[in-house]
Amino acid sequence: MAETLVSERPAAGTAEIARGFREAREKRERRARLLKHIFLIILSFIMLYPLLWMVASSLKPDNQIFGRLSIWPTDFVWQNYVDGWFALRESFTTFYLNSMLVTVLSVVGNLISCSFAAYAFARLDFTLKKFWFALMMMTLMIPYHVVLIPQYVLFLNLGWVDTYLPLIVPKFLASEAFFIFLMVQFFRQLPRELDEAAMIDGCSPYKIYWAIILPLSLPAMATAAIFSFIWTWEDFLAPLIYLNDIKNYTVPLALRQFVDAESQSAFGQLFAMSVLSLLPVFIFFVVFQRFIIRGIAMTGLK
Amino acid sequence: MASISLKNVVKKYGTVEVVHNISLDIHSGEFLVLVGPSGCGKSTLLRMIAGLEEITDGTISIGDRVINDVPAARRNLSMVFQSYALYPHMSVRKNLAFGLTNLKMPRDEIERRVGEAARMLQIGELMERKPRQLSGGQKQRVAIGRAIVREPELFLFDEPLSNLDAELRVQMRVELASLYNRLGTTMIYVTHDQVEAMTMATRIVVLSNGNIEQVGTPYELYNFPRNLFVASFIGSPRMNLLQAVPSDAGPEIEDFGTLPLTGESITGTALTVGVRPEQFTVGTGGDVTAHGKIVLVEYLGSEVFVHVALPSGKTVMVKVPGNALHKSGETIDLSISARDAHYFGADKLRIPVFDQKAAA
Amino acid sequence: MQRSLAKNTPGYVFLSPWLIGFICLAAGPILASLVLSFTKYDMINPPQFVGLDQYEYMFTRDRRFYKALQVTFSYVLLSVPLRLIVALAVAMVLDKAIRAIGIYRALLYLPSILGASVAVAILWRQVFAGNGVINTVLAQFGIQGPNWLADPNVSLLSLVALSMWQFGAPMLIFLAGLRAIPNELYEAAEIDAASPVRKFLRITLPLLAPVIFFNLVLQMIDAFKTFSSVFIISNGLGSPADSLLFYTLYLFNEAFKFFRMGYASALAWVLLLIIAAFTFIAFLTSKYWVYYENERD
Repeated sequence: MAETLVSERPAAGTAEIARGFREAREKRERRARLLKHIFLIILSFIMLYPLLWMVASSLKPDNQIFGRLSIWPTDFVWQNYVDGWFALRESFTTFYLNSMLVTVLSVVGNLISCSFAAYAFARLDFTLKKFWFALMMMTLMIPYHVVLIPQYVLFLNLGWVDTYLPLIVPKFLASEAFFIFLMVQFFRQLPRELDEAAMIDGCSPYKIYWAIILPLSLPAMATAAIFSFIWTWEDFLAPLIYLNDIKNYTVPLALRQFVDAESQSAFGQLFAMSVLSLLPVFIFFVVFQRFIIRGIAMTGLK
Repeated sequence: MASISLKNVVKKYGTVEVVHNISLDIHSGEFLVLVGPSGCGKSTLLRMIAGLEEITDGTISIGDRVINDVPAARRNLSMVFQSYALYPHMSVRKNLAFGLTNLKMPRDEIERRVGEAARMLQIGELMERKPRQLSGGQKQRVAIGRAIVREPELFLFDEPLSNLDAELRVQMRVELASLYNRLGTTMIYVTHDQVEAMTMATRIVVLSNGNIEQVGTPYELYNFPRNLFVASFIGSPRMNLLQAVPSDAGPEIEDFGTLPLTGESITGTALTVGVRPEQFTVGTGGDVTAHGKIVLVEYLGSEVFVHVALPSGKTVMVKVPGNALHKSGETIDLSISARDAHYFGADKLRIPVFDQKAAA
Repeated sequence: MQRSLAKNTPGYVFLSPWLIGFICLAAGPILASLVLSFTKYDMINPPQFVGLDQYEYMFTRDRRFYKALQVTFSYVLLSVPLRLIVALAVAMVLDKAIRAIGIYRALLYLPSILGASVAVAILWRQVFAGNGVINTVLAQFGIQGPNWLADPNVSLLSLVALSMWQFGAPMLIFLAGLRAIPNELYEAAEIDAASPVRKFLRITLPLLAPVIFFNLVLQMIDAFKTFSSVFIISNGLGSPADSLLFYTLYLFNEAFKFFRMGYASALAWVLLLIIAAFTFIAFLTSKYWVYYENERD
């Protein structure tokens, strides 16, 4: 049957028709691709425009910032950065050091405590495990505002207000369930036979965590570290509540102080400091983009 | 070297019992294979011996020592996993040495043992590589090496060859057998592949649904299957099972006729007569004969599998030498000799008609 | 006994930091705020038990409570669907193997990573100012834009825009979801001569439903939590005319501006119940519109 069908037409004819179809299709696909690229380029530009505008404005004199469409500064006012840096009672050097301290300790705390909890949930067997796991997942949903007041009362009574302890200690107690979840997802992908082989090779559960699970989870640890860095760096609510003395301010608090103190006049300086405050996050994003995107795909969160 | 003894071992997951009351003695220095279809409990049994699964009830002892509560690391055994379970972040050398460093063994002793294993398995030039840089067969060797260096009393293998391609599997089978001959250590080996079981084992345990069906040497299992399950599980192609009704003249087999076989052992209401594919005689040379039609011929070179449809519609498989010429559609005579067949009662258990004589 | 101790010890050792944190920083505070919600507490005098008075006040007389609910719900119901629709649309454009996908993905995701910061909130204030970027662009087309942040009728739109600007995160999740749909399904549909619209409605949407559902719940919870951007954009007051009085902001001010800790705790519990109810409804109804591939009927 098939043989007769083909032999009714000359072979060259069929090939030509097929080529025609293929070419038409390729042309259509090329045009669709081109349209997609144009769309994406315009979209990316719109998305980035506010950020570019901020960077440009940080280099302009205040009277040239508003009411113009062109963002390119006519003359570059680098002085905005210098003046902005020293505009508040404390210089931004202090705020950056404070932010760094809080962020680094928070990252360390998150990595240790969350990987502990994740290892227990993903690999160990103990009574009430499912119960605790369900509770942990529920804390993912609870807004910080719900626990805010009692936590504040607690830390006030401990004498921790206006220190960094309320910002850091919770991180050592695995208070960010997101990271536990991220690591649980990752640990579960590691073959269980590795743990079993290690068990037979004489490892305790503690040694398995240290010698097997942790070295194999560096990608997940990196993802958690990056997110933890970015979120802590940008965190506003907790510092707002717990830090009073301007000497203790983190960068976001200082920026807010800036808005209150100078907002109506020194926009160039305000934008200059805003740009600087985003710089570490931006650098992290550019360098570690791969880990960030994988982390999101892995958990389906954030 | 160690003997292992299982007494009334039970394993439950929640309320589901997957291993029922198993007792088994494993002799020192034997190569015992646990075989059965998937889900029969063979891996669970092995993992209980290894200490990777808790024992719900009963006792397991190695030598005189009950090891129910002894952690895996202190049972003085080593295990080769199906997926090899090599530590991906360690070099081959570190993989081999890892267990020994955990034992706080002196460094020169570790080096001696690792070197020896590397020589024995010919993986010397791979020592600094990471597992992902190894081929399947090389990974397999390293996994075995990691088991050897600990010089354990007992080796456990959990389907170690099932991730290899067919050719490599045959080669590794030979190597494992010669390794066993060299070390003489007790080995317990789990597989679902009865060819592996038959070729390597000194003794085989056939399991199904969490029960032991039969324990015996490959020869015993093949020639004296204790019940219908073992009869049809061991041997490839499978044994043909024919329905028969006992009568005064002997068992009357559908399509074939009455076998001239009388005696008190063949009683009851129903009977199954088992005939292995090579136990048929082509032609009328046996005790009873059926007249069938060839429906399919599988030519394998050294031998030929002939599928024959009998008048009742039942199809049997016959194995004949490769030089025999048969064509699909032809008619053929098949006959059975009473002495060659296996007999199973209504309770599915073997009726030992000729066993004493044959075994002797 | 000894056996169960040995079995449980490592698990609880590793779990202990979380367990302490959970009890002291989550479970304990949630219960404590329930207790506090039945009291008047100003942090100077000891809490004073008032029973359900504060809840009664909240539901019957507190007009700002209702205003806060209205603002927050309007925001959630506007911003979440918009953000998800944009995210899905862009993800579908990105999905079919296209050159430089990595660059687009990164550029479009960047606002999500920066969006929660104070700096971006400051930026947004100026973008939507009377003489800000938006109005400058509109002026090119001869449109006189409103003073976005001073006009209570439109001020919420600036925050909805900020939320849409951050569609990158759900976009990445959708991308991962789209990747998981086997290409054979589309090829089969192609052979069956299905139109692109039908392919979207009959293949993409049903198979993506679990991901959409998951995103919906998470984004809703996230939207309820919105705080720092509103705080900066509305000067911490919810102004103009309470049109940006987000629930979280109202709660925060009651607690840390007016030190009505008891009342703020009651507000916190109501927020908790609202989020729980939303999540519950989403999960309850999911079986009617979410198709899980490995589900049996």
